[in-house]
Amino acid sequence: MITAHGLTKRYGDRTVVQDLDFTVRPGTVTGFLGPNGAGKSTTMRMLLGLDTPTQGRSTVNGRSYATHPAPLTQVGALLEARSVHPGRSAFNHLMALAHTHGIPRRRVEEVIDLAGLTDAAHRRVKGFSLGMGQRLGVASALLGDPATVILDEPVNGLDPEGVLWIRTLLTSLAAEGRTVLVSSHLMSEMALTADHLIVIGRGRLLADTTVAELIRSAGGASVKVVTPQPEELKAHLTAPNVTVTVTPAPVPTPGSHELRIRGVDTAHIGRVAATHAITLHELTPQTVSLEQAFMDLTQESVDHRPHRQHQPTPATGAAA
Amino acid sequence: MTTPHPTASPPYRITPPRILRAEWHKLRSLRSTWITVISAVVLVLGVGLIMGATYTSGGGDSDVDTVVLSLYGSMLAQIFLVVLGILMTAGEYATGMIRSSLTAVPARLPVLWAKAVAFAATVFTVMLATSVVTFAAAQAFLHDTDQAASFTDPGILRALVGNAGALTLTGLLALGLGALLRSVPGAIGAFIGGVMILPEILGMLPYDAVERAIMYFPTQAAGALGSATPIPGTISPGPALLALSLWAGTTLAAAALTLKRRDV
Repeated sequence: MITAHGLTKRYGDRTVVQDLDFTVRPGTVTGFLGPNGAGKSTTMRMLLGLDTPTQGRSTVNGRSYATHPAPLTQVGALLEARSVHPGRSAFNHLMALAHTHGIPRRRVEEVIDLAGLTDAAHRRVKGFSLGMGQRLGVASALLGDPATVILDEPVNGLDPEGVLWIRTLLTSLAAEGRTVLVSSHLMSEMALTADHLIVIGRGRLLADTTVAELIRSAGGASVKVVTPQPEELKAHLTAPNVTVTVTPAPVPTPGSHELRIRGVDTAHIGRVAATHAITLHELTPQTVSLEQAFMDLTQESVDHRPHRQHQPTPATGAAA
Repeated sequence: MTTPHPTASPPYRITPPRILRAEWHKLRSLRSTWITVISAVVLVLGVGLIMGATYTSGGGDSDVDTVVLSLYGSMLAQIFLVVLGILMTAGEYATGMIRSSLTAVPARLPVLWAKAVAFAATVFTVMLATSVVTFAAAQAFLHDTDQAASFTDPGILRALVGNAGALTLTGLLALGLGALLRSVPGAIGAFIGGVMILPEILGMLPYDAVERAIMYFPTQAAGALGSATPIPGTISPGPALLALSLWAGTTLAAAALTLKRRDV
């Protein structure tokens, strides 16, 4: 469990993180999403006590990170991959960290195997590929068998096999009941692994929601219909939660009209059209892609326009 | 994957001896440590042997203190040990290792103390042994000259221990500078400028007060500590030890203050 209360970081008059409030719950993978420079890394560094917040505070498993008597057993963190001395071997790096907590050599060897670094364990980190560096970062995060795991851009620089490994790992960590917070600037990556999303832009909280909820709030699913009989179709579809809008076709076809229908699915529209002998030229389900929803959300923060649909939805549904 | 035990109290916890053990592991698992320490040992021993082998009674070095003559290489060895001290602290900022170190030990200050203890224990032990062996080896050549001396002669043991202590304390000063400035080139530059060059420049000033003050500078105090007989124009070993300890201690205290306050 991670909580942030009014977390704020300013450097001079530049505000990097502003008044962040969020809770990361155990048992799910929470994606921490934002464009580059949104304040994700700074927030994670504040969670770990590396940066002191200008205002506000954060707790991990009930207390501030620095006050845990054995922090590595509470939180495992992968910060920027290169938080390692390149002249030291992976084994020696992990062993040095393990010594601070009295973690035995056996556990060090365990996490080396887990991260797939067995063959490279005694080579100097200097010669590691970016992917091996990330694997070492993950190994050090899991060293203390922590209940909470914080990973900053873990898939950066990984090959497809490595990306798959991270996804499987994140899911299994969450399934074991751990709290998992993963940052990324790639919505598509988060869509595959995260259940819950915390989206920030320019240091502000833009959304704290589930993946499904984010799509819905960004406009949700609709159906595009092209028909020469728009009024008839509209009349037969009338229902309290159904909206039909006539949209001008990008390439106007004589005798054909494009409709955007929300609240019913393609199967229902097809049945209605068949029953009433209405000709359809096109019947296509339209989903707002996560990428688009993310762009819509963060675009506002980039443009400094007033918030159009900033509705931080309380954690509902599957993720809670 | 092992099963989590979020409710069970963790069997592991941070203790000062464990942090020291971690810093000791970090120190000995780097090639640069071995290179700098072995270089320092070889320099002291090698220069000592050359000084002994080439010495002739009544020559220009007759009035030089026997221990100073034998351990002439210490002045050069000091540079390697200063680099080692700076690498231990500033080196972690250069590589990013500091983030790992301070995430593991978020209280921060124990990491600095552990580094200082690991450095001091290693350097003092190695350089004391080197000083003793070098003195004995040099005496193999010097025993029938006017520089003949034995361990039991007045001041000899004190000077040998003093030499190792001076190298250690000056190294700790550098370690503190590294932690304070967080940059390897910055700290090396500050050491060269502040510790090596500044007293030379100040010495050109025609004021007695400045001249007396310079005697308390790290290099000058270190010289006084490593001599069996009083060197003209230096302070006596007691005040020299105190001065050098204060230089190292003050720098470490300043480093501790910034470590506690600044973001990593």
